[in-house]
Amino acid sequence: MKKAILSLMAICSLGQVALAFCGFYVAKAGADLYNKKSEVILVRDGKKTTITMSNDFKGSVKDFAMVVPVPNVLARDDIRIADRSVFQMLDAYSAPRLVEYFDQNPCQLVYPEEDKEMMLENLAAYRKTNSVILRDKIKYSVTIEAQYKVDEYDIILLSAKISGGLKKWLVDNGYSIPARAEQVLEPYIKSGLKFFVVKVDLNKYNPKKNGGFLRPLQITVKSAKFTLPIRLGMANSKGEQDLIVYAFSKKGRVECSNYRTVEMPTNKKVPTFLKPNFGNFYSDVFRNQYGKQGKNAIFLEYAWNVTPTWSGVKCDPCVGNPPYAREFLMAGVPWANTNGTTTYFTRMHVRYTLDKFPEDLFFIETPNKEHYQARYVITHPAQGDLSCNEGKRYTQTLKLRRESELRTLTKLSQWDTNKFYDYVANGTGKTVSMKKSDENSFWSVGLKDVGDKGPRSGLLFAILTLLLSYLVHALWVRRRLAGT
Amino acid sequence: MVSTTTVVQKALSIISKEVRDPRYFQILFLGSFLLFGVSYLGWQSDMIKYAVLLVSVLITQLAFTRLTIKIYSSIKSALITGLGLCLLLKTGSVHTVILAAVIAISSKFIIKVNNKHIFNPANVGTIAATLLTNDAWISPGQWGSSVLLWFFVGAAGLMMILKVGRLDTSFTFIATFGGLLFARQVLYLGWESSVWLHQMSNGTLLLFTFFMITDPMTTPNHKYARIVWSVVLAVGLFVASNFYYMQTAAVWLLVIFSPFTPLFDKLFVAQKYEWSNTLIKKV
Repeated sequence: MKKAILSLMAICSLGQVALAFCGFYVAKAGADLYNKKSEVILVRDGKKTTITMSNDFKGSVKDFAMVVPVPNVLARDDIRIADRSVFQMLDAYSAPRLVEYFDQNPCQLVYPEEDKEMMLENLAAYRKTNSVILRDKIKYSVTIEAQYKVDEYDIILLSAKISGGLKKWLVDNGYSIPARAEQVLEPYIKSGLKFFVVKVDLNKYNPKKNGGFLRPLQITVKSAKFTLPIRLGMANSKGEQDLIVYAFSKKGRVECSNYRTVEMPTNKKVPTFLKPNFGNFYSDVFRNQYGKQGKNAIFLEYAWNVTPTWSGVKCDPCVGNPPYAREFLMAGVPWANTNGTTTYFTRMHVRYTLDKFPEDLFFIETPNKEHYQARYVITHPAQGDLSCNEGKRYTQTLKLRRESELRTLTKLSQWDTNKFYDYVANGTGKTVSMKKSDENSFWSVGLKDVGDKGPRSGLLFAILTLLLSYLVHALWVRRRLAGT
Repeated sequence: MVSTTTVVQKALSIISKEVRDPRYFQILFLGSFLLFGVSYLGWQSDMIKYAVLLVSVLITQLAFTRLTIKIYSSIKSALITGLGLCLLLKTGSVHTVILAAVIAISSKFIIKVNNKHIFNPANVGTIAATLLTNDAWISPGQWGSSVLLWFFVGAAGLMMILKVGRLDTSFTFIATFGGLLFARQVLYLGWESSVWLHQMSNGTLLLFTFFMITDPMTTPNHKYARIVWSVVLAVGLFVASNFYYMQTAAVWLLVIFSPFTPLFDKLFVAQKYEWSNTLIKKV
């Protein structure tokens, strides 16, 4: 880890040009942008999967209940409680990022003093941030396979023979279960899965601790299946839900095997006025991509080798500190801390609905070691007197660049950029002067509903071409041949 | 004027004869799938690898052809293998791509029984690259699932298999696999039929069904043998994917089952397929 940061610093401190080249991280679009979101850490090691589930349950804890289908009866050691901070840390480290660069004034070959100071300050800041088992056959055809008390949680592992019985048992034992749950539970029961059922022990729960949030539960299961059961969570919700998956593997990138995994557009140059609005911008980029990809794809936001002993650059630039020993332990990646193993980190973002995601998510570990990060770049114009010939040429290219940045903005986020016309004109001065009335709402005004386009236009085009070529062959060429 | 018409007619006649070779259609279809992947599924970053792969298969084929049969029309088959590899194999390095291409084409010339190669070249190239290197993989989710995909690949596949006369193989395979999957997922487990549809419309499965197991060179010659062969493959895939959760089972099973093709050919005797059959019959 120390090594990694040192090597990054070495690149960044080669000199002023290199300093500007590295860029500075200025904003991130973290998971807190989305309303109905959940976060999961998924660690795959051979046939063992460790799942850590974040909990942003906001109601009264006495109403809280969670049912997760698991492939085997978990032992007490397979259940742990993680710290919420590990999610915040992983999110901060892997979130889509906005970086800023500064143009050099072609008329003054050195940076203005204040910029230099600011950069050095930034660099300094950047451096600094561096059981008891019960077998109780009951009338519901439900067997309590195991029962544990894990701090504030009461945990039961159930196996069931019929979904109606399981539902009735859950209801009779005070769990509130959605109406459609029975139908969804059935396939899991018949596949021989067990149920990990969680309730909060009110005597042990202290609402003043952990900011009033429930702490994340971590379980380790053993199965050839590498999956996340999302269907159960859709039993009572028809709307869109966001899920951020932080996956760790020894082999390389993790990708979805039954839905498409698509990279978010990256390394795009965007206007400087996005700096204070990066979160809104990114969530619209995501919304746009989500629609474009047919609303049934999974989006890659980050993929990198995060092995602590690996000396390469871990991100360019880092939005947060890379995970280290303590975080790896908390995330359920203990092997990351042993020498000789490599650890790959993949961040995926899924927005799922009942109709577009009929199946649970299945994953596959790939040997793909290519690094990827969702990264957007702003470049500040040069400051000072630009009246020299070089300066005039620079002003011209700056205008062209800003036009292109606006086009990129429209393409990525569907924002109406007509109102930012003065961004191009004021290129050499301050950043865009926005009208007051626009300040709070410019990202939503003029936003087109991207709808569910999918890659259909391409398909139709291809089908038509095929049919046409076949018809030409069948009707025309053959007839000509028959004529001869 | 008259002479122009005659020239056009002659040209058409030549084109028409050539076009009867089903391999042109296969190249057209596989090529359009690749184009679709590059333009709509975000495979642009792999363009260089595709180019290297196609050049490598062509060079290997030319080299082997020069040393052996000297029939250069076989270059079409090499192109099909190359396109098949582009659609199937994922890798991070150009070296792996070349290795897969060379192994795929060499397997056609080296591993032969009764003058018929045993393995589907694209299939064996993919598996060899996965086994021999640390950076090759199959991405079963790369096509996604869509009913439209069914229509597209299905329609193209149908034209193709009608031309090569392998309707029996594809349909027996997809009907057996689909039937078993429906029985388990919908009838037994109680999933909604949309789960079944989602699994059945997976692009990788469709390509496998309509373009990979229809290869007349590596499937049994006799119709009944092909039906039995397809049923065994479908049952194998069903068991491997539903009970052992092997997500790339189809490609592995095809490699495992391919060596049994000569056995089927021995049990059910029939004439070997020739790419030019359709041509000779009709002209």
